[in-house]
Amino acid sequence: MMRVYFVGWLVISSLALSAQGVDEDLLRMKQRLDSVVYFQVNLQLETDISFVHMPVKRALMKFEKGKPVQFSSSDFVLLPKRGLDFSLQSLFEYPVVTLVRNIAVKNGNTIKEINVIPADKRADFTIATLWINTSLRRVESAEISTSKDGTYVLQMHYQQAPDIFPDRVEVNFEIERIRIPLNFMGKGTQIDKEKLKSEGSKTGKIFMMLSNYQIRYKLR
Amino acid sequence: MKRLIVAELFKLAKQRKTYYALASIFIIEGIILLSAYFEGTNIINLLLDNLRKSFYFQGSLLNGNLLQYLVLNTLWFHIPLIIMIVVSGMLTAEYKDKTIQAVMLQPIKKWQWILSKYVVAVIFTIGVVVLLYVTSYWLCTGIFGEGDLVVYLEGLNFFPAKEAAYRIRWAFIAGSVSMMFFAVSSLTIAVLLKDVTTTWIVCCLFLIICNLLLKIDLGNTWLNQYAFVKLNDTWQYFFQFTIPYQTILINWWVLVGYILFMAAAGIFVFNKRDIG
Repeated sequence: MMRVYFVGWLVISSLALSAQGVDEDLLRMKQRLDSVVYFQVNLQLETDISFVHMPVKRALMKFEKGKPVQFSSSDFVLLPKRGLDFSLQSLFEYPVVTLVRNIAVKNGNTIKEINVIPADKRADFTIATLWINTSLRRVESAEISTSKDGTYVLQMHYQQAPDIFPDRVEVNFEIERIRIPLNFMGKGTQIDKEKLKSEGSKTGKIFMMLSNYQIRYKLR
Repeated sequence: MKRLIVAELFKLAKQRKTYYALASIFIIEGIILLSAYFEGTNIINLLLDNLRKSFYFQGSLLNGNLLQYLVLNTLWFHIPLIIMIVVSGMLTAEYKDKTIQAVMLQPIKKWQWILSKYVVAVIFTIGVVVLLYVTSYWLCTGIFGEGDLVVYLEGLNFFPAKEAAYRIRWAFIAGSVSMMFFAVSSLTIAVLLKDVTTTWIVCCLFLIICNLLLKIDLGNTWLNQYAFVKLNDTWQYFFQFTIPYQTILINWWVLVGYILFMAAAGIFVFNKRDIG
């Protein structure tokens, strides 16, 4: 009898696994993003990290499908490693499996919470959770965990309903406390060793304002 | 008085050690530029290592403004040391060569003569800081170009190129007041000690103690704020993210007070003493 249960469990499990592909709404959204072959946008970056004081910076960002995103600026700019990949190119670089966690209605829109798990070891993230607006086919927010760069949370804000890309993005990330060699300390700088030890890793925020999008779509 | 000042300036211009001092400033600048040229990128990478994990960097921080900031850091020790050696030598050399006795035979007042030395010490100090600023600006921005400045002071502070240039310029001006303090102090030490070698050693010791006490808590709020050893880092306040102008102004006035006190003490002692 036990053997029958066991075989039955095996069959059901394997069926469930084989059913795990990529969520259809996610695919629809990806299809929409894939239609963009090129875009450029003006970036305005504001950092909120306790130990980094930086004025508002501006840069021009250029995306070309299949190529790394390019930036240009007349002055020095810190650009977040995550949060600028609006095309989600890096998430879908290798095969993934998805799992729908929740479906909720927010402001009249259906928001689907989907876990994206890489099926290939080469992927640079361990798990991602996407909140997708299924009716507008775009990402509302995302939480991406990586083995190397910690966890990133992205909040996207769109100016208009049909917009494919956001006009405001908030990136929350983990950042290790700063370790500056003593040679670089100013003489007047006080060092509180106990405070430094207890601080550990911190969280930082980057606020990005995006304007003047120039988007080129794939010819149908 | 005017003639005394001109005569002292002439003597300063004639002595060889003045030019050795100026040459040593160029050598220090040269070493900073060479080390930055070969090691600068590594230093920046080390400084921003933690941020590299979360950010891409667009643009270069190894530029003329950073290099000028490094040159500015010679105001902690190198420049005051050179100034103190030259300025104290203005008087100790007179004692050593016994020219002071010949001078005192002339119909001039002792206090006027020593005051002219203090005035020339201040003029020389301003000249050195101006030379340091002009040459460092010319060399640093000429070779490395302009760009944003990163400074570690209560966190990593980033300043756009134009703002960095403004802050550096004012830091040099603020630094010149500190240098004046050391110059005037060295002349007062020379008045007290007369001997060349002893004066140099005591000047070095004075400078070292000032640098050490800057970091040490003096156990009293007033002392921690207004003791002269605590005022010599005022130029660094220009690299705080928000410049504390009021504190800087107060520090300047207090430091000017110390300078006047040091000069007055030196003039008083010199005037009271016999020349021998």
